[in-house]
Amino acid sequence: MGLNLLAVAAVGGAGAPAAILQSGVSNIVVNGLIISALYAVVAIGFTLIFGVGGVLNLAHGASITVGAFGAYYVARVFGMGAWAGLVAGVLVAAAFGAALYLAMIRRMEDEPIMVMILTLVTAVAVEQFVLTVEGSQPKAIPALVGGVTRVAGTNLQHNLVVVFAVSWAIILALFLFVNYTDAGKALIATSMSRKGAALVGIESDRVNLATWVIAGALAGLAGVFLGSFQTAHWAMGRAPLVLSFTIVVLGGVGSIKGSVVGAYLIGFLEVITTRVFDPRLQTLVPLVVLLLVLLVKPEGLFGRELAEA
Amino acid sequence: MSDDTLGEDAAVEQSSPATGRSLPARYVAGLIGLALLAVLPVPSLLGVESVTLFGTVTITFGLSSYQLLQVAGAFYFAMFAMSWDVVSGYTGQISFGHGFFFALGGYTSALLNLTYGVAPLAAIPAGVAVAALGGVVIGVPALRLRGPYLSLVTLVAPQVLLSVFILFSGTFGGELGLSSPDNLLGVGLGNPVLVYYIAFALFVAILAVLLAVTRSSAGAVFTAIREDEDAVAAAGLNPAKFKTFAFVLSAAVGGLAGAVLVHTPVGNPQPSQLLATQVSIEVIIAAILGGMGTIVGAAIGGLIVYLLPEYLNTVEYVVPVLDAPVSEIDFLLFAVIALVLLFVMPGGVLRAALRIARDRLSDRRGEGVAADGGRRARTPVEQVRERWRSAVERTLGRGPDRERRTTDGRRSDGRRADDRDANRGHENGGDTDEH
Amino acid sequence: MLAPEPSDNPIGASIANGAQLAVDELNADGGIGGADVEISVKDTKEDPATGRSRYQELTVNEGVDVTTGVFTSEVLLNIMDDIAQQQTLHMTAGAATPEASARVAENYEQYKYHFRTGPTNARHLGQNMVDFVEAKSGDLGWESVAVLVEDYAWTEPVSAVLDEKLGDTGVEVAMSQRYASGTENFGPVYDEVENSGADAAFVAMAHTGTPAVVQWASQQRPFEFGGIHVPMQLPSYYEATDGAVNYGVTQNSATPQSEVTDKTVPFAENYNEEFGSYPVYTGYIAYDAVHQFASVAEEVGSVASDDLVSGLEESSYTGTAGTIEYYGPDDQFAHDVVYEEGKVWPIFMQWQDGNQEVIYPDDLATADYQTPPWV
Repeated sequence: MGLNLLAVAAVGGAGAPAAILQSGVSNIVVNGLIISALYAVVAIGFTLIFGVGGVLNLAHGASITVGAFGAYYVARVFGMGAWAGLVAGVLVAAAFGAALYLAMIRRMEDEPIMVMILTLVTAVAVEQFVLTVEGSQPKAIPALVGGVTRVAGTNLQHNLVVVFAVSWAIILALFLFVNYTDAGKALIATSMSRKGAALVGIESDRVNLATWVIAGALAGLAGVFLGSFQTAHWAMGRAPLVLSFTIVVLGGVGSIKGSVVGAYLIGFLEVITTRVFDPRLQTLVPLVVLLLVLLVKPEGLFGRELAEA
Repeated sequence: MSDDTLGEDAAVEQSSPATGRSLPARYVAGLIGLALLAVLPVPSLLGVESVTLFGTVTITFGLSSYQLLQVAGAFYFAMFAMSWDVVSGYTGQISFGHGFFFALGGYTSALLNLTYGVAPLAAIPAGVAVAALGGVVIGVPALRLRGPYLSLVTLVAPQVLLSVFILFSGTFGGELGLSSPDNLLGVGLGNPVLVYYIAFALFVAILAVLLAVTRSSAGAVFTAIREDEDAVAAAGLNPAKFKTFAFVLSAAVGGLAGAVLVHTPVGNPQPSQLLATQVSIEVIIAAILGGMGTIVGAAIGGLIVYLLPEYLNTVEYVVPVLDAPVSEIDFLLFAVIALVLLFVMPGGVLRAALRIARDRLSDRRGEGVAADGGRRARTPVEQVRERWRSAVERTLGRGPDRERRTTDGRRSDGRRADDRDANRGHENGGDTDEH
Repeated sequence: MLAPEPSDNPIGASIANGAQLAVDELNADGGIGGADVEISVKDTKEDPATGRSRYQELTVNEGVDVTTGVFTSEVLLNIMDDIAQQQTLHMTAGAATPEASARVAENYEQYKYHFRTGPTNARHLGQNMVDFVEAKSGDLGWESVAVLVEDYAWTEPVSAVLDEKLGDTGVEVAMSQRYASGTENFGPVYDEVENSGADAAFVAMAHTGTPAVVQWASQQRPFEFGGIHVPMQLPSYYEATDGAVNYGVTQNSATPQSEVTDKTVPFAENYNEEFGSYPVYTGYIAYDAVHQFASVAEEVGSVASDDLVSGLEESSYTGTAGTIEYYGPDDQFAHDVVYEEGKVWPIFMQWQDGNQEVIYPDDLATADYQTPPWV
């Protein structure tokens, strides 16, 4: 593989307008709905860590890779099947998140800049490790569910339906957890004011650890999904990480709702760019959106109202 | 010599007890180091690279031609690292994407040469100009952003540039870059010694200029901005002006290094050498490990960071678990080593070494370490950390701003907080008469 | 010897091991002119800058007599000037860009040290694809094809030839697209192929091939898949893709079972015995390059670059991938391996239940083409 910094997930040349009209709209909707759900899962983990710990975890993309290769090993190398692979991917990535926090971040919590640098270097180390052990050839992770159904002129893979359903189940579960359980409320409280949280007896260490574990698990899940409908390779975490920046800046820091809305904006923007305009613009558009938002409206589109739910 | 004075305040330095009659010891060490670098190629110039004694013991002097080329490459990388240090180490605006500027310089110069046949000597200044312009493009909007948001902008800028290169790969060569343009003054592979000296001369020149700037009053303002921007504004200076100046200076120097580099046999106008995330990370690691906010530290760090993988590359040892020879996993090892070093001594290797040396010295003189331990100021990393913490708190709506928000109903966020500061800066900058 | 990641990339490993095998055979046979042959392998990491640095290490530092290898066209182009400056013979085994031979033709004195032992240059690769379609489209049942080419330097001449000549074969070109380097999600492009109604995707892919073929299979796209697909040439590829490559077709220099020449199968078997796996095309080429170099050096009795250059120009050497001759200095493809039936004439193979079966040319065919069941 080349040294692509960002995965360009589509194709050159202008599509024939007529073809787009025929099956294009349903195609855009289906693809947009699914890919956005996946982006939301990635971005929520990223935003939770930023919201609760006040640090940017640049190794979030590495968690995606770790999850995907965890699944690859269990499902393919040990031959235990796709669903066991899914569970393993999530667990390994969660453990990776916990290890990162306990070994490194906990001691650096008040030094966001060192956290950024250390997580960036960690990400590089993980990428290089995977590259060394597995080589640069992408690996296929078996689909969770095989088969294809034709819906409204579009081939709908059953695998993608599962990806969509599981992603949304996780998002909703997390939303309920954060808003309706004591542990979840502690998490939000910490993200608002650490001192305040400490005053009412919340141990920020434990909340932080929980956040890193949840974020790792979410990234791992996304990694398994990405690996199963595309392929798993050493640099697969880079593009989702950069998309997470954009989504989080759009949706507001620390907000689950904001991340979902941001993910859907970015996801559909990406799919529409790919189908209707030049597919090669696909990597560029989210980056430009990110820069524009940062420079024009850095508090995000929704301010912090959304952040508090 | 306390480590906090390292290269920051010459006045303090002169009154320091360690200096005594002559130059401070570390200046002497620096000059000796430069002199050694200057004579490195001499043995190969004379054609005596090694001498065999009694037919058995071989003593090798100097470096082989290939190693000279490697060290020349390291000089350019050290220039990159110094340019990073000017803006990030001094003013505390951490750039996560300094490759942006190297690539602007390198690609501009290479493209002018490849497409229009412009001679390297004329193309290089154009590369510097474009890079400086890039410094304005990033530096001015960055005034409104702080902490993590500024870092995001710098992190993303090179990726935007790379996307553009890939999008117009016919012109820019995409992911794999352009082919090599003409060599500067026609000095190529056949003349490694000259390649070495061109790099060395540029290295010394940039080192001197950056040392002069950072030790001048402008440098003092840079440092003050890192420590407390509001105080700088309160003193009647406009921090925005100085921050932009630092960005543009840094971009121009980085662009110069990139532009000259592509016209040498060790440089290529390719993303992997100028623009990749890897490049920007290596520069940060180099400057931090060498010692942020010192220029000299960045230069030393840059040399080491460039040469370490080159060294690892010659090691034949096969790592057992990975079953890969060291030479193939040089970057993995580098990342792991850097991670450990960053974790163990975030203040930098140079600082740590100086501290050890100082402790030894003072022990010998019978001075207690506490003597200047009490005077120890914060390291640049600590100062940047401080600024960041407040920026993050503002971003997240924590801390003092939170109170402000409840009283005046304003939302607290990175930008408005900065606007407030920027406005304050302008007001104060405009009304110097009051003071 | 310049190879990408020789310890874990099969393409790089084949270059290194193929040459190693040849060197071992030479030394067992008394070396070249009585002198033992030494081999030094450097890792290009498929990166032009690294490749150039390693080339300098080999030539400036170690003073080697000949270099071979280089898989990526971008790496090759980046060392062409250094080859000229060092005046050291280089025999390419992997990179296909005709720009290298164009430079030899334009500026012979400077660049004459470059030879391409294989594969056939990218224009000939395109021509080979056209020849394949011309000969086999009836058997395959391909009436219309969608041309999908990854946007890298090596595919530009391939695209040019396909655009120019594919239409003359009687097969309709329903769509033709160069997609971005680094593409991972092939959903959108496959939607377009489906909409175009093509019977098959006719591809030229190296760097982006794996996600492309995996998504083709897992999404059970209603079209067939073939062309030049470099990873598919790997003997271990069926395993690596969990069988997703089944029914895929690719051009190849040789397969372990195909008797391109009488040296092909013994080499593949020796290689497998020595290294525990079968080589990919770069292995055959690197092995041939070393042997051809040795025979020419013996013949001219020298390892001086200029003698070797004229020796190679005259040489006709039957190796594992065919009979290797080079175009003369005045040809537009100066010093490229001659593409001709009876000399070097690549095969086309299909993955069938874990085996690489040759389907073209007919005299080497080991099986008939099979249409994917879901099409």
